[in-house]
Amino acid sequence: MKGKQCRWAIVGAALWSGVAAGHGLHYEVSRAEAVVIRLSYSDGTPFAYEGFEIRPEEGGTPVLVGRSDREGRVAFLPPRAGKWRLRAWSEDGHGVDVVFSTTEREGVKENNGGRWDRLGQAAIGVGVLLGVFGVVQLFLRRSR
Amino acid sequence: MHVPDGFLSPATYMTAYGLAVPLWWVGVRRLRHELDAETLPWLAAVSALCFVLMQWSIPLPGGSSVHLSGIGLLAVLFGPWVSFLAVSLVLAVQSLVLGVGGVTTLAVNALAMGLIGSWMAFGGWRLLRRVHEPTALVFAGWLATVAPAAVVGVTLGVQPLVAQGEEGEPLFFPFDWEVTLPAVVVPHALLGVVEGVVTWWGRSAWVRLRVRHGE
Repeated sequence: MKGKQCRWAIVGAALWSGVAAGHGLHYEVSRAEAVVIRLSYSDGTPFAYEGFEIRPEEGGTPVLVGRSDREGRVAFLPPRAGKWRLRAWSEDGHGVDVVFSTTEREGVKENNGGRWDRLGQAAIGVGVLLGVFGVVQLFLRRSR
Repeated sequence: MHVPDGFLSPATYMTAYGLAVPLWWVGVRRLRHELDAETLPWLAAVSALCFVLMQWSIPLPGGSSVHLSGIGLLAVLFGPWVSFLAVSLVLAVQSLVLGVGGVTTLAVNALAMGLIGSWMAFGGWRLLRRVHEPTALVFAGWLATVAPAAVVGVTLGVQPLVAQGEEGEPLFFPFDWEVTLPAVVVPHALLGVVEGVVTWWGRSAWVRLRVRHGE
């Protein structure tokens, strides 16, 4: 009788271990090429630990959702070549909504300007503003 | 404080454009009466200063950043309508030339910063200037910063309510106003003190300059 109980106990344990294995999670460490998008404030401070999502440009379920890393980077392994929409935001309203493309060779490099580019753009902006006011001045003088 | 493209639902920004266009028209009509060829160069110079101030990010602990705006100064020097138009022009140049802010969100930004910021600053200054002019100017600058921040915080915070997907997920900005309002307003309440000092300093410099030019 003891032997029979023992056999049932062994069978039960074997079955239980099989069920338990169903909850296990396998992992595999490998290298792959990713598209890396770095997000930063205009003074260069990383847009770190903020939420983002990447969807196909045409819409649909996000292919990647997460948070940027300490350096403000988002690493994305595109499942296919195409255009993707990245939306990232912080609670205080900072963020981006950009579309970028990935080619078969992933040779993509796009940016919207570093600090010196922004200084140049600021100079252009001031020039445009003063130009607009200059035109208004001409109209004012002509009308009086 | 500039709300970028993609953060607001079309219902929000189309409503804002519907409000802003007639207000811009009123502003232009008032501008023609209030401005002359002598005042316009001053307005151009102060608007350019506002543009530069908005470009200068001040980093905050925790990784975020804020910027001054000069809206309080514009409002107390030229009045709220002229200030509204000048800020709208600055925002338009920023969105079209620099990609800062947004084209779809231009009306929201103009109403929040240009209209509400200017009127709050002007009202605060008029309210206190007979009591103590420097305090009135600092208060004007503070209001010009905090009031738009509150409007932007609420506008962002209602997006999860006004635009949802089939499963109730937010389609645009995902945080509600309980999160956005303190996140936007608290840093700007601190920044507002600096903006107030800039308004006070700017107004004093303006008075000295105009006296020097004999105006």
